[in-house]
Formats: sequence, structure tokens, C-alpha cells
Amino acid sequence: MSEDFNDNKTIQAQSSETISGGSGASPDMDYVRPAEVGDQDLYHGHSFITKWIFCQDAKVIGVQYFLLATFTGIIGLILSWLMRLQLGFPGAAGFMTAEHYYQFVTMHGMIMVVYFLTALFLGGFGNYLIPLMVGARDMVFPYLNMVSFWMFFIAVGVLLASFFVPGGPTGAGWTLYPPQTILEGTPGSGMGILLMCLSLILFVAGFTMGGLNYLITVLQARTRGMTLMRMPLTVWGIFTATVLAMLAFPALLVGALMMSLDKVLGTSFFMPTILKAGEVLEYGGGSPILFQHLFWFFGHPEVYIVALPAFGIISDLISVHSRKNIFGYRMMVWAIVGIGGLSFFVWAHHMYVSGMNPWFGFFFATTTLIIAVPTAMKVYNWILTLWRGNIRMNTVMLWCLGFIVTFVNGGITGIFLGNVTVDVPLSDTYFVIAHFHMVMGIAPLMVIMGAVYHWFPLVAGRFLDEKLGKWHFWTTFLGAYSIYFPMHYLGFIGVPRRYFEMYDSPYVTSATGMNEFISLAAFLVGAAQFILIFNIIKTLKTGKPAGSNPWKACSLEWLTPTVPPEHGNWGDRLPVVHRWAYDYSVPGAKEDFITQTTPPSEVADTGVEKT
Amino acid sequence: MSDPKIEGYVFKPGFKGMAQDTGSDQTMFKGVHWGKAMMWIFLLSDTFIFSCFLISYMKGRGSTLIEWPNPSEVFALDAFGVPVPLLLIAIMTFVLITSSGTMALAVKYGYEKNRKMCGWLVLATALGGLTFVGMQAFEWSKLIHEGVRPWENPFGAPQFGSFFFMITGFHGTHVSIGVIFLFIYAYKVFAGHYDEEKRGWFTTMKGNYVEIEILGLYWHFVDLVWVFIFAFFYLW
Amino acid sequence: MHPGIIFFLVILGSVLFHIFTPWYWTDVASNWGGMDDTITLTFWVGGGVFVAVCLFMVYCVFKFSYKEDRKAEYKPEDKKLEKILTWATTLGVIALLAPGLVIWNQYITVPKNALQIDVMAWQWGWQYRLPGKDGKLGTTQITNINENNPFGINLDDPYGKDDVMVQTDVLNLENNKPVKILLRSVDVLHNWYVPQFRAKMDAVPGIVTYYWFEPNKTGEYEVLCAEYCGVGHYAMRGRVIVQDNQDYENWMQEQETFSDLVAKQKALEVEKTKLAKK
Repeated sequence: MSEDFNDNKTIQAQSSETISGGSGASPDMDYVRPAEVGDQDLYHGHSFITKWIFCQDAKVIGVQYFLLATFTGIIGLILSWLMRLQLGFPGAAGFMTAEHYYQFVTMHGMIMVVYFLTALFLGGFGNYLIPLMVGARDMVFPYLNMVSFWMFFIAVGVLLASFFVPGGPTGAGWTLYPPQTILEGTPGSGMGILLMCLSLILFVAGFTMGGLNYLITVLQARTRGMTLMRMPLTVWGIFTATVLAMLAFPALLVGALMMSLDKVLGTSFFMPTILKAGEVLEYGGGSPILFQHLFWFFGHPEVYIVALPAFGIISDLISVHSRKNIFGYRMMVWAIVGIGGLSFFVWAHHMYVSGMNPWFGFFFATTTLIIAVPTAMKVYNWILTLWRGNIRMNTVMLWCLGFIVTFVNGGITGIFLGNVTVDVPLSDTYFVIAHFHMVMGIAPLMVIMGAVYHWFPLVAGRFLDEKLGKWHFWTTFLGAYSIYFPMHYLGFIGVPRRYFEMYDSPYVTSATGMNEFISLAAFLVGAAQFILIFNIIKTLKTGKPAGSNPWKACSLEWLTPTVPPEHGNWGDRLPVVHRWAYDYSVPGAKEDFITQTTPPSEVADTGVEKT
Repeated sequence: MSDPKIEGYVFKPGFKGMAQDTGSDQTMFKGVHWGKAMMWIFLLSDTFIFSCFLISYMKGRGSTLIEWPNPSEVFALDAFGVPVPLLLIAIMTFVLITSSGTMALAVKYGYEKNRKMCGWLVLATALGGLTFVGMQAFEWSKLIHEGVRPWENPFGAPQFGSFFFMITGFHGTHVSIGVIFLFIYAYKVFAGHYDEEKRGWFTTMKGNYVEIEILGLYWHFVDLVWVFIFAFFYLW
Repeated sequence: MHPGIIFFLVILGSVLFHIFTPWYWTDVASNWGGMDDTITLTFWVGGGVFVAVCLFMVYCVFKFSYKEDRKAEYKPEDKKLEKILTWATTLGVIALLAPGLVIWNQYITVPKNALQIDVMAWQWGWQYRLPGKDGKLGTTQITNINENNPFGINLDDPYGKDDVMVQTDVLNLENNKPVKILLRSVDVLHNWYVPQFRAKMDAVPGIVTYYWFEPNKTGEYEVLCAEYCGVGHYAMRGRVIVQDNQDYENWMQEQETFSDLVAKQKALEVEKTKLAKK
């Protein structure tokens, strides 16, 4: 398991050692308690395999997660192209039958939500950033962390294998609602759905291993002086999202397991009496709505599993590039925690018209709209961070601004759908599609891209090309906005989602032009993502070297002795933290940032307010 | 058995003090071993799995149209020609709870570095778990013999069989995994791996008696879950 | 060009699109105009917030673009401002939620005089059953469904005998008369949705769900299935014809009741046996 707790091999000396050239101030000011736990025992790989493949270094695992999630995401992207091709130009792709269309819809949804966004934010950014940002040498259980990635790898493999089994992948919609999902006649109702359930179970198992690592690293392995209220918001976001995941994925696991049993053993957990093709099936007595409850008890926290890391990361990016502290840090922390807590009490707002007891509507509408308050506070704090800042208009900041626009847009439409009455005409229409793509597709994507441009110099030691970055941003932002903004209005007309085609309906015919336009924009936005790949390849070869702390940031991840950081992160000595991660533009300070490791005695005569 | 006294750290009194201690640097749970904290959080997650199972069971049992079988008849066992309700299950529960006791003792002796006692007690716990799994297998085969299947049930609602086999099966898997680990740990204790801090086979991290306590947490949890399953399936 | 300009144009474009869009909701044809009103209200409040937040952002981007000699403000927290914003948001949210809950209360409270209509869905089609003179629908069971009993009516239920059976996907409704739609499905989830009526609810196999509305505009409307139900989902349409009282009565006269059907079947069987005897 981990290193021996009782055996403090190297208790570090007290922080007075770190004072160098203190300006005559008392060393007592800089006192930080000695280390509670001995230095972490790490396994250093030497062969290619232990260094790059079965590697126990959280940074490498983070990159592995990132690459595999991106690979799956590209598959999801290609599927979305095929869908848009059918919707914009019906019949243009000759092979596209309704079966295929629904399979693509299903796989696109599941891949993007679980295997792309969740894996990328928590597995990718979580692994890379948590140990660096809290000042740990590595995740606390490196071996478990490695197994976590390889479980994810197998889960992706199983998922993709379902494309090649008889019947193809499941085509039941990403929500996998029974009885539809496992009934004969639904695409992929045989092997397809079983592989999907298996893949999800593997993903949950693998994620649990990773999630335990993230949680314990944040809770129990912070460096000296790193109190909870000094952690960057990125860590808060990923931490809270991981807590949600640990408590929400069990419901998905149970749902997937029961569904598999319904399919394989013929149990009737979710299956009522069914008449199909004139024959009564052997099922009976089960409840389809039970599955919906299980699914959305996972599904709604899942939204925040994606959103909270995005909130955290964007807060840090905005702060660094506005050269200003994040406004209302404590409010931001409590908003993240509050949103996380509330997210467990809102799940049935996905089920207002599902046939559940209608009285639930009152409760879930109220809880849902309560969540809007902390979320709105976060938005205010982001724009108030810009206010009177000194804003660098670089690519990272552009992604941040793009995030604010798309997130506010998607958040507002969320208030439409959360308010039970407004949801009735709009649910199951394109309004829903537009809403959740805006708020948990495009907005988190903006964050991912911003984070990539921001942290690439740390990971690879080189700046990504700004010019390409700007092209990438504007095509993505303008393109994606023109996909999803008009799409809301399809929903107002009343066009239901998950329609393979419906061009003979009187009031939909008018929207044909819009559908074509949306499809064209979708092709463009998808293609624009390859600019990033090109940019990365180009940068790795010829990019401008970044050096140490190129953005002049305060937080710990930029303060490693080597860039990119080595295994063990901190060389001989762990950093000692003296302040929060946002001391930008402090009055009286020499530079416009004071790093987290700067002891108070060095900045005694400045106007530092918060530590 | 963690030591809450951390060098240079004084716990502050009152609610505010507790909040400050929680938010202090380095660790939230002072002096708690990483592995132990991990096991607690894992068990919290596992609690949610079992809760989902049991809530689904309650919903399934509450909404089924065909009557639910009477547990004291279905689970009765013939003792000398007289059907005694819940006989087997009472013994199973007794065995499992006892094994929790031996586990707790094993942890105590582990921290006292009493290798022999610790090893024997871990082994006893493993045997208790094995007995439990064996009796559960017996009960399953008895029910299957009487015609109960996951998809059908001669005594009433078919969901009875579905939920019973699924939930006890899932719990039984937990017990079985625990038993496997108990045997491995018993070997490691007897071989003195924890005394000499031998590195683990896979993790390459140094071993320590705290691992016995971590496994103990898991084992107590499995027992606790059983109490709930017992109450929901056999007493309701 | 300063990026702020493009962001400004995006906001402006969104507002203009909303004002001039040719794509907007169909005219409401039921009593649920209140839903449209709550949407409009949400649009005003939410749209206002969206525009305000984004314009403020654009303003900041213009005003505080990076300059070497500028120093950003250092102000970690502003308790008062945060408090004001929290309360203002809370008030806004309450203003949106309250009317929503009031209308939801109406939505789930079915008027006593509503005509109950059994809407039965399967992959992929609809059929309807209306109560006969007794005003009550007979109970049903999926396992009863066969050629002679397309709705699975329990034969021993006296209320079922005079039930009116509409075995097409076209349903006629009387204008200005509330109806309670009772949804049933024999296989998977479906959803009987007429955009002009605004209301919808899933049909779930195993249970009966319901909702109600009162059509208030005569005409013909399309019924769409709004819950994914398999590869035929997109083609699962139906029609509703809302008529005035007289037309509706006429239509009602033409419909067949369950006992008519049973009698017809019996007659057929008698014919058959006669033929066989000959």
C-alpha cells in the first residue's frame, strides 16, 4: 500500500530555513509547522515500460488519460459529424439507416459525457495538477493510480469493441432507458448493450481507484502550510467533483448491473409485462422508472462532475491572466461545495414528464432553482475578477471569455428547463439538446482548451503557437455558438429530439435551412479541433521554450525546480506554502505576483491582505 | 489506532476550533494513515452501492403485483423434522459477527507486534468468512432446489428471487474477496512481512501492521451490510 | 480588431436573432398559455442577465486590456457586494420559480369534468378509447389484448362494455372541453405530444400516466412521439382534430363501442360455424 506512517525518515526542518535574505523581519513570521508525515516513498521506473506505459508517475498517468480521452473524444466527434450529416442533408450518406443513426447518437452521448469529459477532467487534469498544486510528490497510491488508468483503457476497449459485435453498439439513447434498451428490435440490444454495461462497470471500478487517490492526496498529503483555504480553485473543483463521482457512480453501477441481469438472466427489475409483436414476453412486474431514478441519481451529479473542475480551472485561468486575485475566493469555494451537495437533490428534474409522481415536481423544481444561486455567484465573481484587472488578451483568456458567454447562455436555458412548468413544452425537444451541449459540451470544452494552452508550457516546456491558437478559438467559439444558439429555436417550434428525420411535418419544414446551416457549422467546428493537434505537433518540434513560470503565476505547479517537473516533482525538498494562490498585483510588491512559497518576511512591507 | 497527537499541533476547542483543525495544512484527519482514510472513503462509496440495491429492492417489493413470499417460511430449515424459521440465517449471522470480533482482536495484536496471535486471529477470521460463504452456498442451493430462480419463484413474486440472488450474491462476493485477502494477509503476518516492512509484491511499498486494520475496516463493513440485508430480507 | 468587438457582435447578434427569428413557437391551441407566459418571463429575466453579464464582460475587456504600467486592483473580497448579488439573484430565482409552481399545480390538478381518454401506444402507433354513456373507462390488462379485444379490456368489467374504440391514429376532440389523457404503453416508453397543446407526458409500460388540457382552437394538429421508442420513433405520428360540439357529436355517433365489436365478432363466428355445418 503506501509508505510507513510511523517511520518519519526525514522530518523536514522548520521553515526558518527557507528564509533567505529576509528583510530584517522576524523569522517567527515565517513559522510553518513541521511535516506530519515522512517523505513519500516512490517507485522510480527505469525501463521504457515502467517509465512510459505502466508508469506510476501521476503526471504521466495524467497525460495518458488525456490522450486516451481525446482519442475517444475524436471518435465521438466523428459520430456527431455523421449524425449532423443525416440531419442536415438526409440521405446524403447512403449507409445511414435509422438503426445506425440511433447507434451513433447513443455512442456519441456516452463517449462524450463519460469517456471524454469525465476522464479528461478528473483523470487527465486531476492526475497532472493535484499533486503539483497541493505540493505532493505524487498521488498517494501510485500503483493503484496506474491500475486506474489501465482499467479505463480496458473500459474504452470494451466500449469500442461493441462496434464490431453482431448487432453493433447499443442504439437505445445514452440514457439507456429500459425496456427499450434490451428489447429485441432495438439496435444492439444483444451484445451491444452488454458490452456497454460491462464497459461502464469497468469504468466505474477504474475511476474509483483513481478517485480514492485524488481525494486522499487532497485531504492527507498536502505540503506544509497548504491549508484547505489556500488551495487553488482547480483543486477544489476536481476534489468536489471526485466526491460527487464516488457517490454518484454507485447508482450507475447498480443500474448497469441490474440491466445486464434483466438481459442475461431474464430477471424483471426494470421490465413490466410487455406485448411485443402480438406476444406477451416473459418479463413482468418490474419498474422502468426505477432505472430512470438510478440513472439520473448518477446522471445529474455527473453534470457537475464535469462542470465543477471546469469552474475551478477557469477561475485560475481568469485570475492568472487578469493579473488579479479571484474575486471572492471563499464564496467560490463554498459555491463549489454547495453546488456539489445540492446536485444530489435535483436528479428528478430530468424526469418531470417521465410519469413519476407529479408531486415530485414541486420539490425538484425548487432545489434545481436553488442551485442557480451559487452558480450565478460564480459567474459574477468571474466577471468581477476581470473588473479592474490587467487583462492579457491571449489565447487562454479568449477561451475563458468564450466559456463565460457559452456558460451563461447554457446556464440561463437551464433555468428554463429546471422550472417544471417551462420544462413541460420544452423537454424532449431540441431545446434540451441545445441547452446541455452549450452548458456541458461547449463550455467545458472551452475550459479544456484554455487549460491546454495554459498548462502546455508546463507539461512540454514550450508555448503553443498563439496565432494558430486564435484561429482555433474563433472557429470553435463562433462555430459552436452558431450551432447551438439557433438550435434552441427548433425546440421552441417543438421538434422532438432523437428524430432520424421528420421533414414532412408542417411546422418543421420551415427549419430545413437552419438544419443545413447547423450541420455545416458542425463540420467546421469539428475540423477546427485538428488545428490544436497540428499546433501541438508543431510546438513540440519548434515551439518557443517557456522556461520556468512563464505566465508569472502564483500557484505551486509552476514552482517546481525543473520544467517540466520530474518524477517526485520537487527535487530534494518539498515546498512550504505561506499564502493563497492568488496574490496578484499586491500593492507595494516588486512584481505583480507573489508566489505561494514567498515567506511573509519577504513581503512584510506590502499590502497583503489575505493569506 | 491512530495517534491524534501530532508533533507541534494542538487541537483547538469548540466548533470553530474544529473547523480550523479540519482546514489546517497538510492533513484533514490528523494522524490518520493514508490507506485507512482511503478505505473509509471507499466504504462510503460502497455504502452507496448497497443503498442503491436495497432501495431498489424496497421499490421492487413495494410495487410488485404478485404477493411477496413469507420469509419465515421460505427461509425455514428443518431441524429434526420441525421447520425452524431463520435457523440457518441465525447461525450465519452469528458466525459473521464472531469473525468481526476475531478481526478486531487481530488488529489489537497486530499493533502489539504479536505476530503469532495476530496471524492466528486473521486466519480464524478467514475461516469464519469461509464458513459464512459455505452456508450461503448451501442456502442458495436449497432455494434453487425448491425452484426459486432469479427469473421465477414458486412462492410468489419473481422479483423475490431476482433481488435475493443479486443482493446476497453481491454481498457474498464482498465476503469472498475479503476471505481471499484475509488468507493472503495471514500468510504475510506469519511470514513476518509486516515486522520487517517487506515491500509489497505489486505496489512495492513497505508493509506494516496498519494494513491489518485497513482490512479489518473492510471486514467490519461487510458485516454491517449483512445486518442490513438480514433485516430487509429476513425480518421484513 | 479587438476581440471585445467580436464578443459584442455575438451578444448583439443573439438579441437580434431572438427578435427577428422566423422560427418560434406555434400558436398555442390549449389552455396552457400560462406555460408560454412563464417562458416569456424567463426570457426577459434570464435574457436580461445574459446580456448584462456579457456586456459587462465586454466592457471589462475593453477597459482593462493589458498595459505594462497598469496595476490591477487588489481586493480579495467585498462582502457587501457579494451579499447584494446573492440576494438579488435569490429574488430573481423566486420570481421565476413561483409562477412556474403555480402553473404546475394546475397541470397536475385535473378538473372533475374532464373527459377521460385512454391513449394506447405501441411500437409504433397510437389508438384511443373513450368512455361510453356511463362516462367511465373499463379497466384493462395488457395480457388480454388480442384481435377481438384490441385494448385488452377486462371482459368482466361492466364499465368497459360501452367504451368507444378509435382504432386509428386520429383522435377527435371537442373544442373547449377539458380532456384527461390516460397514457398506456404495451411495450416501451412513448410520449403523446402535440406541440400546439404544449403539454406532454411519457407513456410507461406497466403503469398509467396522465395529463390534462383543454383545446381551445378548432383545427387539425399533428401528434408526435416525444420519447425515444426505437428505430420507428421519428415516424410515430398521429393526428388530433379539434371540432365544435356538433361535428364532434357526429363523429362520436359513427364510432364503434366494445360491445358492438364483441357482437360483430360473435356474429362472424356464428356465420363461420354455420358455413362449417353446411
